[in-house]
Amino acid sequence: MAQVVDLSALSVTEGNKLIRQYAEAGENIDVLNPDARHHIGVGVTNEVTIRVHGSAGYFCAGLTDGPNFVVDNNVGWGVADNMLKGSVVVNGNAGAIAGVAIRGAEVVVHGNIGSRAGQVMKEGTLLCRGNANFMAGYMMYGGRIIILGDAGDRVGEGLTGGSIYVAGKINDVGKGAEKIDLPSDELDSIKEFLDRYEIPFNGTLQKLQPSGAGLRYGTLEPRVRNVPFYTFSGASDYWNTKVQEDIHVKAQIGRYRLRGYGAARALPHLGDIAFRKDLSDTSDDANVLDKVNLKTEIGGDNGAEAIKLSMPVMIAPMSYGALSKSTKVALAIASGLSGISENTGEGGMSDEQREAADQLIYQCLSGRLGWNIHDMQRANALEIYISQGAKPGLGGQLMAKKVTKAIAEIRGIPEGIDLRSPSRHPDVLGADDLVIKVEEFREATGYKVPVAVKLGAGRVRDDIKIAMKDGFDFVELDGLQGSTGAASTEVLEFVGIPTLSAIQEALDALEEIDSAGKLQIVLMGGIKDGIDAAKAIALGADAVAVGTGAIIAGGCIACMQCHVGTCVVGIATQDPVHEARYDTQVEAQNIHRYLESMRWQMAAIAHAHGHDDIHKMGRDDLVALTPEAAEITGLPYEPGYRNQQTVAAE
Amino acid sequence: MTSDVYNIDRIAPAAAPEGSRDDTALSHYVPAPCQVACPIGTDAPSYIGYIWENKIEEAFEAITATNPFSSICGRVCDAPCEPACRRADSDGPIAIRNLKRYVMEQLGKDHRLPVVEVSQKKTVGIVGGGPAGMTAAQDLAEAGYEVHVYEMTDRLGGMMIWGIPAFRLPVGTIAEDMDRMLAHCPGIKVHLNTPLGKEMGDGGVTLEELKEKHDAVLLSIGAWWGKSMKVEGDDDDRVVDGVGFLRKVNNGERPQMPSVVTVIGGGDVAMDACRAAARLPGCEKVKVIYRRGPEEIPARLDELEGAIKEDIEIIYNEQPVAVVPDGDALKLRCIKTEMGEPDEDGRRRPVNVEGSEHDIDCGLVIMAVGQQTESEHLDGHGLINRDRVQTEWDGMRTPDEQVFAAGDGAFGGSTIVMAMQHGHRSAYYIKAFLEGRENPVPYRVPFRTRDVPVAQDADWEIFAREEQEFHGLGSDPVSFPEIESTYTPRSAKCEAARCYRCDVETGSQDYSVKNREDLFVMARTAPQDTRTQRAILNKRSQPRENPFPEGGLPTFDDLVFLPANLSRLVIDPYRDDCNVITKIADRLKLASPSIVAGLDDAADEVRADIAKGVATHGTAYIGRRALSADVPWVQLLASGDAPDSNAVGYIIADASADLTAMKAAAGDDKFTGMVFTSNNLEASIVKALEAELDVALLDGTRGITSAWSELVVDCDLELLRDTIAIMRGMNREEDLDILYFGGLRSGTDVAKALALGCNAGVLGMSIAMAAGGTPEEDGTVGFYSDYTSEDRTNGVVQILQATSGEASIMARCTGKTNVHNLEPEDMRSVTITSARAAGIPLAGTNRIMEAAE
Repeated sequence: MAQVVDLSALSVTEGNKLIRQYAEAGENIDVLNPDARHHIGVGVTNEVTIRVHGSAGYFCAGLTDGPNFVVDNNVGWGVADNMLKGSVVVNGNAGAIAGVAIRGAEVVVHGNIGSRAGQVMKEGTLLCRGNANFMAGYMMYGGRIIILGDAGDRVGEGLTGGSIYVAGKINDVGKGAEKIDLPSDELDSIKEFLDRYEIPFNGTLQKLQPSGAGLRYGTLEPRVRNVPFYTFSGASDYWNTKVQEDIHVKAQIGRYRLRGYGAARALPHLGDIAFRKDLSDTSDDANVLDKVNLKTEIGGDNGAEAIKLSMPVMIAPMSYGALSKSTKVALAIASGLSGISENTGEGGMSDEQREAADQLIYQCLSGRLGWNIHDMQRANALEIYISQGAKPGLGGQLMAKKVTKAIAEIRGIPEGIDLRSPSRHPDVLGADDLVIKVEEFREATGYKVPVAVKLGAGRVRDDIKIAMKDGFDFVELDGLQGSTGAASTEVLEFVGIPTLSAIQEALDALEEIDSAGKLQIVLMGGIKDGIDAAKAIALGADAVAVGTGAIIAGGCIACMQCHVGTCVVGIATQDPVHEARYDTQVEAQNIHRYLESMRWQMAAIAHAHGHDDIHKMGRDDLVALTPEAAEITGLPYEPGYRNQQTVAAE
Repeated sequence: MTSDVYNIDRIAPAAAPEGSRDDTALSHYVPAPCQVACPIGTDAPSYIGYIWENKIEEAFEAITATNPFSSICGRVCDAPCEPACRRADSDGPIAIRNLKRYVMEQLGKDHRLPVVEVSQKKTVGIVGGGPAGMTAAQDLAEAGYEVHVYEMTDRLGGMMIWGIPAFRLPVGTIAEDMDRMLAHCPGIKVHLNTPLGKEMGDGGVTLEELKEKHDAVLLSIGAWWGKSMKVEGDDDDRVVDGVGFLRKVNNGERPQMPSVVTVIGGGDVAMDACRAAARLPGCEKVKVIYRRGPEEIPARLDELEGAIKEDIEIIYNEQPVAVVPDGDALKLRCIKTEMGEPDEDGRRRPVNVEGSEHDIDCGLVIMAVGQQTESEHLDGHGLINRDRVQTEWDGMRTPDEQVFAAGDGAFGGSTIVMAMQHGHRSAYYIKAFLEGRENPVPYRVPFRTRDVPVAQDADWEIFAREEQEFHGLGSDPVSFPEIESTYTPRSAKCEAARCYRCDVETGSQDYSVKNREDLFVMARTAPQDTRTQRAILNKRSQPRENPFPEGGLPTFDDLVFLPANLSRLVIDPYRDDCNVITKIADRLKLASPSIVAGLDDAADEVRADIAKGVATHGTAYIGRRALSADVPWVQLLASGDAPDSNAVGYIIADASADLTAMKAAAGDDKFTGMVFTSNNLEASIVKALEAELDVALLDGTRGITSAWSELVVDCDLELLRDTIAIMRGMNREEDLDILYFGGLRSGTDVAKALALGCNAGVLGMSIAMAAGGTPEEDGTVGFYSDYTSEDRTNGVVQILQATSGEASIMARCTGKTNVHNLEPEDMRSVTITSARAAGIPLAGTNRIMEAAE
């Protein structure tokens, strides 16, 4: 006898809570009066049967592991989103992106499925008895899609791994896929699957597999230890060494160049702002840390449990994949020692990282790499990545040689594939979709943890208003100076706005919609020390995040060759020989001391300005030293302060 | 040692002295950890960089600038630079010492420094021809003083020659450095076999004589005598001191050894003594006894490993308590030790383990437990305090104001490189004394750089440390053949490539060397060390220079694109190309938004190669001459040029010229256009529109018809802004297709030109560079034979493709699927200058600033 959850009497949130309770007790559930509502059954991690008596809305059975869903009628988009084990049988039709990002689940749709079915799926089977709309299997990494009807246009577009079987017509094979004859052993396996779900089939199947086209370059970029960006506006040396080097390299490879790090050139930044107080009042008083409160809570304004920081600093999101596991663990240890938060970045959460970090933010990217319900439930906050300062508006790519067994495992993809991630989320085309996505996350985690958005700075004034309306708990706002492990140099230098401009636009935007102070902002992108942090906070940020600074403290020598994968110090590499060069414990201590130095600087600066709390720092404490900084921030232009920043000698 | 390297103060090196050959004034320069660790501040990163470039003479200059004993140090320097090397934490430090040896051997022993003649009247007497005295001698001689060196023995070198056995440091190597110095400084007069005082015979010279003859005297007499262990039975003949033993051996003696020899001590003398003994006749086994453990042993790792490779046994945590004669043999009675509390120098004190006494059978005990200075003569003058010459570190002075002291004799046994530091330091104070400067500012080791580019070796991250070939005892040990041979050019280059080049700017503006070094210091400062925290805060709160000082010119670099995020649809899929097809005047279809121009003055063969590339890509050429029959030609009509019927269109270069001939030649088939510059822009626009021309070619260089005009004027954002503004004001914005020429270096620049209102960017210089063109000092562009025809053609094909790809990616980032949909609103400026010049709001604001504001 199944337990009944009647949604005519309950909100989805209440219903989901009950569903999870019953599931934990091992009891099957009948969901009555679903009324095509969204998020039904998200977050269930037990092997129970859940029968939805009617139609479900978006993300039915999403973010789950283990349950078997049966939906009597139709489902909206994103059915079985990111489902690990378990199954969903839909007796009617499914909307777009059915089976998106599944990692082992079996999804059977007796009717038709919408566009982009199985996008970024990694493992499992998605079966459609009817017809599939356009771009089925779009950017799929693994698993199989079986379409017994006709395939829509561009089926298999951007296929990286996995197989698509089509019994009906194939009009148009997508870029990245190729059609082959069906191998006989695969037919047996498909038949076994069909028999299990009692689906009669006597037809023939054609198979689509990845063609590998367009994934690899003909000529590799010659390795160059980078010439720094020598010139900027106004230099007479317009066709300088750097420009010439770029042209010579591009004249060999026929495309943009790659490197790690962020914008290398000078941009308006926090260094163009000065404190109003002469810091010579700063003593080397060991007790200054006791005199200034630095504790900061982030993300708790809407009822979730806030991230509790011992100072307004976070470790910026950086992935295990771009960085070695040793580096990620060192960052986690240091963040724990300093009582701040670490962030998984793209590519999943490792047990070592979870264990070492006190507070851990878990990031969700478009490829849903390493994303799963269990790690969501053990994270302290969730973060939807929209873009980053280093390369906004573009997807990513990890070359096959970096997709090691360990990386493949944690990301949930086949080993050794050329891994591309889409430039936008499969289920977020616009602001409204994002609202629903955020809701899905909250439903799956019981509204307990904050949900953040990571934004590369572009049209911040517009974007931040949307972030506000979408109900995020905080924003991680990343300026043009933000770094990455690999991106086109042109994008690194010329797409996005500086960090200083970003914070200003964000604050102005909130002001414009009468929401000043209502959306916490964590600023990042070139924050190097406690001085930058104190300025950011005085300008109006709630906290800052450090990425590159922490990496440098932990031994990076800034050769900017992160993308090559043979990092000389063992940071940006998956090669065990190179990773062995990195001493996790030693570097964790170095990063910790760096963070503590930031702490001392912030406390000393706040104290010198007569504040007992870092968050009492304000714009009145700052002046602009350059016309640009003044124009951007509206701070008074006081170049005279340039000479007043010296701390008196002992 | 390493922690000293992360000192916040080193990040402010002094300016270079006038006329010195270096680049210390470079704004980025921070001395590298290896340089800071070196007691004489050797510019190791520069010489390593030079080695990679195979500039051996330049490397020699960098090495010898501070080190008069470069050949010697290339073999036996204690090399504190190496543990400080940042790569030591990764896969092993750069072999800085071996690389130095490589340079010196490449140049050979006869390589000389320029001669410095005597130019001063005063003279200096130096007692002792070891590393401290001779370094001071060279510094003083270089300053023009005549220097007289009085050496007790028959040769120069001090402990370098008497203390270090020839298998590590061949005698000829010492002579090599000395000969080079004496040839470099003829003002150094050497008096051999001349001890201090008459106590040992009439050949000596007394302190009174020295003070009489010279204006200043430097005592660098060394710590020549071995200390005793002071244990029972150590007066036995078969107990000898380490330095005494080495002195004999280094004088050429090869005494017969008993079968077992024990050496007491763990320093470099102990290592040299044990390895020397192992090579002598009769010796079968050498045991080294050290009272602390392997972590504490002070010997340089190389020497220790060398000894172990030569089968020498190292016994840790034991010390002798007695020497007991046992017939023809000896019993060395030892006791085991364990590590106790740290003593005043911070090292943990060995504590005897009671009841652990045991005997080691041997035939000879060599004690290498420290050295001391002895001089009856100086003692008679009251200048000896305990076992050293009484010397103040601050001014290197003895109680006698005319007498200075340096080296082991003044401060106790140390290394060659430390002795050289003493030499430099004492020379500094002696010069001040001779010049009559009282209380000179304190001496500090200078750090210099030579701004050598980073080694461009693709495998620098992968190369493992190169070791020199090790020969050990060799086939005839008693002749003391050298234990190692130097690198080959190939192995030296690989080793040099490994250098991180901590001295060089490789990062970004935010993470410049200086900023990174500050962060390194933050990461290595204890949180409780508030004094240092404060110094860091002081340093870090210095504002940076204004990166955009007044008077800067506006350029494309100042413009950035605004990416699509939430408020604009991000374009999916990941790398689908944008539409880049470009049409000019509805007649000329191009594969991408780039046209080529400005190559009329290149050699014909170069033009032919470029033409193939342009044709392959599928774009056109604008010029007074056609590029080739395969490339659509837009004829640029300078005054006097007749329209050519082979052209697909005409653009008149002189806006004031009569358009009749061009219009007539064009008829209906060919398009027509005019070059606009900032001169008379409005009149030109009016004229072009009235004549119903099709195309405006904006010439940002104001000289498109002259050769390589892009090297003369960078670019002209105002021209773009004004042209669009004027045409918009006339509501005729769509009536001319706009091309822009001048300073387009990348697809990003082209995308910016498109966003500012152009239909296509016109590339000249970047095409020339892609084809191997090199800007020359005379303002032309040279093409050379190292580029083949195919290289040139391929370069053009690739750069055009890359340019198109970059323009696409910019459009895609902004959420556009066609590059021609880029618009001014997709951009922001990062400087006020460019915000005004381009009419694009400053990032962070949404206000278009007036040009004349």
